[in-house]
Amino acid sequence: MSKVQGTPVANLSAVQPSLAKSLRKRKGPGLRDVSIRENNAPNKWRFIRWGFLIFINFLFFASFYFDIQILEGSLSASRLLGFHMADPFASFQIMLASQLVKVNLVIGMVTVVIIYIILGGRFFCSWVCPYHLLAEFGEMLHKSLIKKKIIKKNHVFDRNIKYYFYAIFLILSLVTGYTAFEVINPVSMLSRLFVYGPGIILLWVVFLLAFEVLYSRRAWCRYFCPVGVSYNLIGWVSPFKIKWNINKCSNCKKCQRVCMVPFVLQETVNKGKAEYVVSGECTRCGLCIDACEDGALKYNIRYLDKLI
Amino acid sequence: MANQKVEKGKLTRRNFFKGSTLVMIGGAIAYGAASVPALRSEELLLRPPGALEEDLFLASCIKCGQCLQVCPPQIIMLAKIDQGFGLGTPYIVPREGACILCKGLPCVLACPTGSLNHDISEGSEAEMGLAVISKPETCLSIKGKDDLVYELENLRDSKQSMEPEKLSTILTRLINKLTSDELEQWKQKWQLEEISVQTISQVLAKLDKEHISWLVDFTTGTQQAAEACKICLETCPIKEENPIVFETRKDAQSGKEYVIPVVQKTCVGCGVCEMECPTPEPSITIVPRLKWKEETA
Repeated sequence: MSKVQGTPVANLSAVQPSLAKSLRKRKGPGLRDVSIRENNAPNKWRFIRWGFLIFINFLFFASFYFDIQILEGSLSASRLLGFHMADPFASFQIMLASQLVKVNLVIGMVTVVIIYIILGGRFFCSWVCPYHLLAEFGEMLHKSLIKKKIIKKNHVFDRNIKYYFYAIFLILSLVTGYTAFEVINPVSMLSRLFVYGPGIILLWVVFLLAFEVLYSRRAWCRYFCPVGVSYNLIGWVSPFKIKWNINKCSNCKKCQRVCMVPFVLQETVNKGKAEYVVSGECTRCGLCIDACEDGALKYNIRYLDKLI
Repeated sequence: MANQKVEKGKLTRRNFFKGSTLVMIGGAIAYGAASVPALRSEELLLRPPGALEEDLFLASCIKCGQCLQVCPPQIIMLAKIDQGFGLGTPYIVPREGACILCKGLPCVLACPTGSLNHDISEGSEAEMGLAVISKPETCLSIKGKDDLVYELENLRDSKQSMEPEKLSTILTRLINKLTSDELEQWKQKWQLEEISVQTISQVLAKLDKEHISWLVDFTTGTQQAAEACKICLETCPIKEENPIVFETRKDAQSGKEYVIPVVQKTCVGCGVCEMECPTPEPSITIVPRLKWKEETA
């Protein structure tokens, strides 16, 4: 690393002025010092992800309308080929509110935890959650409105609010004996909408999206959603992560520009301290992989490469 | 000056950050505390069989809709926000579609949280509510009127065109109740070789408004018309011990004798009687969660 940072830029500018210019601009630990970029498919993972998300939500729809019994129920609880699955946050709320521990619910919860340890925690958010898809379009709209100066600025909240929400709604479940969050949960709301038809409560989803587009970018997913918190916690222990190759990175920071939770890349791309994007906030959406023209970011299974 | 400006900007931003966090946390707590009394619905909804006691049911339902997916007659619906407390919780409107207490209760088996209690396995064990004669003044049984005659008369007098589906069920029920002599009469009238499902559609094809008057007269003359409507009992899915018993009572004032359906302990509140009741407004309705007592009868 020190070698590159010490490259005599002054001498280089005489031989290769363009490269010297690109090196001077660079701020960060990446080691790549050629400006030749690998040709990448710019939207590969995005489209695979959208396809997967729509397919999963279609399965819910298909189970009800065409009686194709692969994935029945909705995102709060379902059955995959007959095996129970239950959202961890909803399950916790129910156990606290009803003060009953039912075997099926525990089995469903454990199944979901195991599945998302394999798939990578907040993989749920970007690959399964229907609200995420809407919010993604909302984010695009928000960015273009800012670019056109129709909106002055993006308002940033405290990222920890969602952890407070997680605790508050669990405590409220215990105290009031009612799962209050489920009434304002846009994830299960949208999931039910696909299967069982819409209701007036959809105005709440519209309100949230409007808030995100006009006031604070990606507010629900970033700052508030306690459903994602469960998957966030699972994400820390999941070995399925984004791997960063310091030798290929030229520090263009394009990954950070497209990332939906940009701070997760700090330890790697900004500081060069870690080989993997370790944070549980990472949704494994693959936008950074698509954006990286150096091929420095890849999906990888941590520890596995060391074993082999 | 420039430095001051930056500091000022930083401060307001930090204040916004802290302030907004507190507002959000406060909002969440306030919402949670306020939503419980605010969203509580006045009217109880009729829940699917096996539902836990209402408060516990609301606490434990995960709102996934799996009960609705497996429901063979597809009569379970999910509550909307304007229906009070339980957004996304399952309920039944018996007049539109009643629970038929399927064998093995698939909705109960599908429930992942035990909100529909897995302790029950048969419809007869359910405690959804109780049937109540809510409009004795219209009840055909109390009036002493046969339901088939009543329905055919309605058809004759109404100006709307006949619904073939409804007529077909009426005719099927009529034929099932006819004596052998009456069946012969029926065959002669419609020039039929035998009586079966196909012949009903043959009869339906020939039927027009004038024939309905003949049907009314014919049905009034049959033996089964001597007995008043008992459709609530006939359609009841509980067969072992009759949930409805027809008792003969005497009117205290006029001294007239009349027959009245009396709901028994075995009624589970499935609502089929409410669905099938022939009067325009159902004379028998389900009161959700009501428990049977000696006095109610």
